[in-house]
Amino acid sequence: MPPRVRVPSVPLAGLDATSSLSKTAPFARTFSTTPCREKMSKSRQRMYEWLKSQSGSSLAEAPNSPNYLGPFQDQPFPLNPLFRSQPVLDDTTRELIWEKVTVRGDSIKAVSAEMGVDVRRVAAVVRLKEVERQWVTDGKKLATPYAKAVMKMLPKTSYREGEENEPHEPVNEVQVHNLTMQQLFVPVSESRHFTREDAATAFHDKVLSADVRSPQPQLITMEREILKGSSRAESLEKFKEATQAEEEAVAAKLEKQRLWEKKQTRRVFKKGETRVQFRFKAINVDDAGRDGRSRNGTGWRYGAPFEDRKRGLVKIPTSVP
Amino acid sequence: MVVKIRLARFGRRNAPIYNIVVAHARTARNSRPLEVIGTYDPIPRADPYDNSGKLHKDIQLDPFRARYWIGVGAQPTDTAWRLLSMVGIVPKKEFGPKKEQGTKTLTTSFAQVR
Repeated sequence: MPPRVRVPSVPLAGLDATSSLSKTAPFARTFSTTPCREKMSKSRQRMYEWLKSQSGSSLAEAPNSPNYLGPFQDQPFPLNPLFRSQPVLDDTTRELIWEKVTVRGDSIKAVSAEMGVDVRRVAAVVRLKEVERQWVTDGKKLATPYAKAVMKMLPKTSYREGEENEPHEPVNEVQVHNLTMQQLFVPVSESRHFTREDAATAFHDKVLSADVRSPQPQLITMEREILKGSSRAESLEKFKEATQAEEEAVAAKLEKQRLWEKKQTRRVFKKGETRVQFRFKAINVDDAGRDGRSRNGTGWRYGAPFEDRKRGLVKIPTSVP
Repeated sequence: MVVKIRLARFGRRNAPIYNIVVAHARTARNSRPLEVIGTYDPIPRADPYDNSGKLHKDIQLDPFRARYWIGVGAQPTDTAWRLLSMVGIVPKKEFGPKKEQGTKTLTTSFAQVR
């Protein structure tokens, strides 16, 4: 259907003339007839001047360290003072962490304390390096140029063995507990030795002391020993032994759990077939609880809401097998 | 009423997970059973961090309850029987059509032809 546009009525005599006109210029369109500028605008000129200057050429050269426009070292966007980029570990350091933990068998806590990297970060570095190695053995192609380019743009911290190194981050930070945010006045007798445990219980009965909540309580013990008068090297050795023992205990516990599960599991193949193994794990029906709805129970929880696709719930797994 | 040991299908489309249940025969498949004695994941899975390509199926089962229900006369369905026979709760059984025995040839020394 043609568009309903009101057009001025054309006398029949003029019809012929209009059709001939459209034939002569079928693609007549308006286009810009402004001539090219012979001179650059002022601001464009200034931009080129700056690019040719010392600061401009140094920015374009892209050295190995980040080169930000702003006055500050860690502010990549000069107009956004709230964004400060955090330094990351460089690849040599990450490689060293992996080697210390897996090849030399140092405890993660000892590595963390020595290198000034958070325990969780040490664990993450080891895991990711393992993944990288797995990829290399699988023959997957690594995005090395991309990684290099990204590392060029970020501030880095490094750790070199046998040198004075700056710590990457504080390793023994305690999370601020909500209950400790209040101001308290606790009258205490002068003769009383008021410890961190006492301070914690003053806030609430169930609040643990900072020593217990710290990620590396062994470090606190070490410093206390040094204050008492033992030498740093000696207490450092003790600290390493303690963390190693702790780690071995955890490993033994995990191994025990694994063996127990293996003992509970029977592995059988279907008759005359070796493709798929059937693993029968023994469970206890009573784990489902009195109403059969306990989360420890086996199988579908009848009547309990199943919210695997509910909006607003995080579906990212929170643990790795 | 007959008590059966059978599977109840749960999970999503193309991702089934079965409960091994003890239920009355005439009740609906996914209705609340007398007891859930285990689960059966029919999708073959690999072990985490294992690249050998070996697959396994996970079955969780309470062997004592299974034995008890068999002892009091619960009747496993064919699929449930197959699973229970793998751990020796019930004897092995051949399912499906029987293999045809080939026709034997008869020699004249055994039979007299008139």
